[in-house]
Amino acid sequence: MADVVLRGDLHSTRPVPSSSGKEVTPTSISIGRCTVISAGSVIKPPCRMSRGQTHYYPIKIGDNVFVGPQCTISAISISSHVYIGANVTIQQFVIIKENVKVLPNTVIPANMVIASGSVVGGQPARVVGEVGEGWGVSGGGAGGGLGVGGGSEEKWVEGGDLRELVRSIK
Amino acid sequence: MAQPFPYTYYACDCYDNNKPQTVAEAAAEEERDLDPRHPRSNYSLYPLEHLLYCEDCQQIRCSRCVTEETLNWYCPSCLFEVPSSVVKSDGNRCTRNCFNCPVCTSPMTTNSLDTSGDNAAPYTLACPYCKWSTVEIDIEFEKMNGISGQLAKIANGGRQIPTQKERDKERERRKELEARFRDRSALSPSEDSPTMDTWREDHAPSRDDLFSNLSAFYKTQIETTTASNPFSHSDINFSSPSAYSRIMNMYQSTNKRNKRDKPSPVREAASTLEGLSIHDPSTDVAAIERIKTEGWATTLSPSQRHAQTNPNIRFDTELRPLATLLCTKRSKRCRSCRHILSKPESKITSTRYKIKVLALEHIPRLSIRALPSYFTNPTQPPTPAAPHTPYNALKSGIPTHFLLHLSNPLFDPIRVTLATPSTTPGKVQSRITILCPKFEVGANTDVWDDALASSLSPIKHASQDLNQIEAGKIWDRGRNWTSVIVEVIPGFLDNVPGSGLGPGLGEKFALDEKKKKAKQEGEDTDDELDEDEDVLEIPIFVRIEFEADVNAEERSLGDSRGNKNEREKREEAFWTVVGVGRIAAV
Repeated sequence: MADVVLRGDLHSTRPVPSSSGKEVTPTSISIGRCTVISAGSVIKPPCRMSRGQTHYYPIKIGDNVFVGPQCTISAISISSHVYIGANVTIQQFVIIKENVKVLPNTVIPANMVIASGSVVGGQPARVVGEVGEGWGVSGGGAGGGLGVGGGSEEKWVEGGDLRELVRSIK
Repeated sequence: MAQPFPYTYYACDCYDNNKPQTVAEAAAEEERDLDPRHPRSNYSLYPLEHLLYCEDCQQIRCSRCVTEETLNWYCPSCLFEVPSSVVKSDGNRCTRNCFNCPVCTSPMTTNSLDTSGDNAAPYTLACPYCKWSTVEIDIEFEKMNGISGQLAKIANGGRQIPTQKERDKERERRKELEARFRDRSALSPSEDSPTMDTWREDHAPSRDDLFSNLSAFYKTQIETTTASNPFSHSDINFSSPSAYSRIMNMYQSTNKRNKRDKPSPVREAASTLEGLSIHDPSTDVAAIERIKTEGWATTLSPSQRHAQTNPNIRFDTELRPLATLLCTKRSKRCRSCRHILSKPESKITSTRYKIKVLALEHIPRLSIRALPSYFTNPTQPPTPAAPHTPYNALKSGIPTHFLLHLSNPLFDPIRVTLATPSTTPGKVQSRITILCPKFEVGANTDVWDDALASSLSPIKHASQDLNQIEAGKIWDRGRNWTSVIVEVIPGFLDNVPGSGLGPGLGEKFALDEKKKKAKQEGEDTDDELDEDEDVLEIPIFVRIEFEADVNAEERSLGDSRGNKNEREKREEAFWTVVGVGRIAAV
């Protein structure tokens, strides 16, 4: 979507040995399939100061991740089926496991690990609940009807398969 | 959990099922509409994702009508499994290096205080969010790992905490001292107690000291009273609940057997060595003095205090880092038939389920959308830039159309009957009409069937001109979904507090009328709207009928004449609540 900033230039400065022998720039942001990053979000790889030098680390985002508008993300890894609400700040080196819902306006402090199946919210974030068993199941045959009603599709896709939504955008 | 509009909640009727009912009551229950504002509704309405389905009872199961069994414990921070024996002995906290900040609850990191850059000792725990660290309570660690073990030995300020053994030894020593002192004072009562102050420590005994004293005292007390009991064990561990229950059983059995000779009553603790703590008013004075000099900033908030293991502390110098609380993986069973409804894999990192029976796969999904305005108002050009329907500001008195969308997860076509009260319950009454309350929804077939058999759904994706808002007709349909129109006339918010506007003339009239009516009905005439009274929620009763294959279990149990293709008629009915939006203040 518009106004999304992916800081792919902030890659790891450490040389990565490649098969061909010559030095290639390593990937700094890898994003899985059917992931939606909404308008105004910034994804910046996390960095760490070590011996006076800034080292960037690669960021990995899984499949079917929804990132709401106006988010700032510096997590080290976000697994699949994660829903991140609007105005969320994820600080450096956060690890988010599968099936997590991040409520809007949350600030996730650095180095936090969010176990799978939890709902987090607050500033700083804490686990406030669990997602239901139905999380991430692609709506029991809602397939054909997806996006028909128009308007905000977010309710349809929360944690579920985002393929239809991605199609509707393109 | 607050959901953005529009949303759908499903009602689980587990409360009604458990209630013993007379016939008349049951009939009245049938007549009663579900009121989403009823206090009890709070606990029966769930989003569809949270509901399970019991195939044997053929009913929705919510989190209140399932029983949970803990499969295993794990730390949400380091994702290591904690064996249940450790949980029993050490409590439900992580015994590794996981700690939460006592000020802001965010997870803490181990940092080195070494400035040379070698990450050498000493180490501290620091919060990356609020920058609190164990330096503020003068605690430093020698090693990077085993933090909880190190922390257990250091008190705030760097003082050593004695272990349990040392405590016991110390208590014995003091008891001896006390006994000797008592003997001496008996000999010469006039003599003042100079030794008393020397062995009484300069600081008050800590909570742990008191607890160990008290538990040791009760241990000796119980031993003396049950000494004659042949079942008594001298090595009872008083920290385990099973030992306590065993003691309770012993008491009951002995009392029954020899009621005559009562056991000598258990004495209460009488001194500090026996675990008695007497409130000292001077500590209060000291605390007040401290607040006077240092201000409120050094005191703790209630939530910070309750998170601590010792909830009686007052000042931020007494804070301790909190070991992370453990999480559990649980399996769920139906309360009535004991069938397992969901069982996750026991591996911590796995998110898969061994068994999972979702309501999502058995109950049609209802969802509501605002009808884009160009359908209702043909003069307005259809703008593809999405006329954003303001769910948060519905206009009072203006008929608004919504699209109710039903999708069928079952592999059989269903006949749906929808019912709704003509006006919404609550103080703000809105009129609702479902234009087509009876319709069919096709079966959920393979997605590819739809693509291959194009003749199956000729209506699908028909031109928009065909879609007309007409009573008794469905709006649109697809392979396994049908959508119908719901007409809503949002009610008037009379005299909304905080809107700053007094009611207009006409509204005033309506208001008076309403008041009269309310008086006649004996309701409270409170015009003040409560919180969220302006939210428009529509209760909808859904009844579905379908023919399904008789499942294998019933076939074997039931009549033998049943051939393989026998179909049975099934019926399901449940309440849903559709949250449409918030009515805007006029």
